[in-house]
Amino acid sequence: MLELKDLYFSVGDRNIIDGINYTFEKGKFYGITGPNGSGKTTLAKLIMGINTPNAGEIRFGGKEISQWPITERAREGIAYSFQQPARFKGITFRDLLAMAAGTDDEDMLLALLRRVGICSLSFLDKPVDAKLSGGEIKKIELATTIARNPRLAIYDEPDTGIDLWTIQPMVRLLKREQKEHGTTTIVVSHNRAFLEAADIVLMINEGKLAYRGDLQGALPMLNDLSACNYRKCVGDRDVGCYR
Amino acid sequence: MLDAIDKELLAAVADLEGLPKGAFNIRKNGRLLKREVSANIDIESHADGQGITVTIKPGTVNESVHIPVILSQAGLYDVVYNNFIIGADSDVTIIAGCGIHCGGLEPEGHAGIHEFRIGPKAKVKYVEKHYARGPGQGRRSLNPTTKVFLDAGATAEMELTQIGGVDEANRVNEAVLGPNPTTKVFLDAGATAEMELTQIGGVDEANRVNEAVLGPDSLLLITERVLTEGSQKAVSTNNITLEGAGSRANMISRSVIKGDSQQDFYATLDALAPCFGHIECDAIIMDSGRNETVPSLKARHPDAALTHEASIGKIASDQLMKLMSLGLTYDEAVNRIIQGFLK
Repeated sequence: MLELKDLYFSVGDRNIIDGINYTFEKGKFYGITGPNGSGKTTLAKLIMGINTPNAGEIRFGGKEISQWPITERAREGIAYSFQQPARFKGITFRDLLAMAAGTDDEDMLLALLRRVGICSLSFLDKPVDAKLSGGEIKKIELATTIARNPRLAIYDEPDTGIDLWTIQPMVRLLKREQKEHGTTTIVVSHNRAFLEAADIVLMINEGKLAYRGDLQGALPMLNDLSACNYRKCVGDRDVGCYR
Repeated sequence: MLDAIDKELLAAVADLEGLPKGAFNIRKNGRLLKREVSANIDIESHADGQGITVTIKPGTVNESVHIPVILSQAGLYDVVYNNFIIGADSDVTIIAGCGIHCGGLEPEGHAGIHEFRIGPKAKVKYVEKHYARGPGQGRRSLNPTTKVFLDAGATAEMELTQIGGVDEANRVNEAVLGPNPTTKVFLDAGATAEMELTQIGGVDEANRVNEAVLGPDSLLLITERVLTEGSQKAVSTNNITLEGAGSRANMISRSVIKGDSQQDFYATLDALAPCFGHIECDAIIMDSGRNETVPSLKARHPDAALTHEASIGKIASDQLMKLMSLGLTYDEAVNRIIQGFLK
């Protein structure tokens, strides 16, 4: 349902995405992982249209969308959860949810909140501003993504700012959306909980697709420090950081 | 009684679909159009016809009074002096506003001079909107002045909004501490705050000055929202003196500057006692708009706590991308963000 062909994205002379070819299947749950700076988020942004590729094709449902604006891709059925969600002045969660769902009908909004497991009483009229905690704004981001009823949902590091106790319910929610609505799901994450939930794990390293398969197969590579693209930790200068 | 233009102007400046419930006073083209009083709210005209006195009984809560002014008569410059006497312990909302419809070449304008005397522990929310429209080329000016006297423990919350159609605005809000006419408060040695807010606005030339002096434990909230476009100009000058111990002031300004318009915002918090003061001023610049924002904090007491946040810039790209990812076009996203910002 989503096909990436010879995809390149560069900044200056550096290829952030360096020739990626991959076809995502309808209704599957994908976990994209890889070291910091490997190009995971950039790849997700290319699919949503936040960045435009320098070369290559993005085909969604058979249509070549690589030059489409964000709005058109959203209307075609792609939804995106930002890693650092935007904060506004004078816009409430209700406003965002109504825009996402295309309705301001109270019952439908409340039904959406139940679907994403958010307490409606405390949340709906909260301003989406700088006062929200990191966890609150991520829940709002997740809810507005699901409210789109997308064919393809992309979540960029959905667990950022979320407490440990909320991660498993969040994983269950995304799996339920995948099962009940047939949502093709892409989660960019370092978190093992999301990678374990994925049908297919993709590992990106230095802008290339370094691995595709199950999590078990990815673990040796994930544990391999050679995946670090800084290459500064050699011999006694190896700080042994976990990647 | 209300024609189509009247109705549109009333809807714009007072959110009224027709005649309001409760007490109200509608002035059209310099004359009283319709008035209602209630058991707790009395309205009387001054002898010269140039203004009204609104008297609110002590302890009146959850009531409102609408006092809109509408102008559609070419060449008219309407000046009124309105007094508001708000009894102790009351909690009321006053909705003012002026709508101008300009159909021809002649200028039209309105100057409302409002004086509030807010009794001990009373709370007042004052909402004022300015709006000008019409196909005419005549200058549209709005020159309001607001004076507020806050008694001990009294609260005034002010929302001053200029919706559109004003080519040049210069708002000045001013206040000075003076002896409160209520002797008891005057005897409380600083238990009185007197605030004077002046707003002068208009199509071709407008000006607003807010000045306020806060007595002990008094609270002042000012929210100002101004949108300018075309070649309009607006200046807002605010001088707030926190004179009494425990006084608190919060000034919020939201500016949207479109086209070739210009808005300047000046706010000074002058703290003479242990107090809290905050200024939040945000300006969104679109097209070729220009803005000067100068928040100023003066602590003249060691226990004064003063803060400010100021920002000028275009609409943040992450906000635009979020709304576009929800299916809005770029223009729809811009409008939605501006609408929320000025809400």
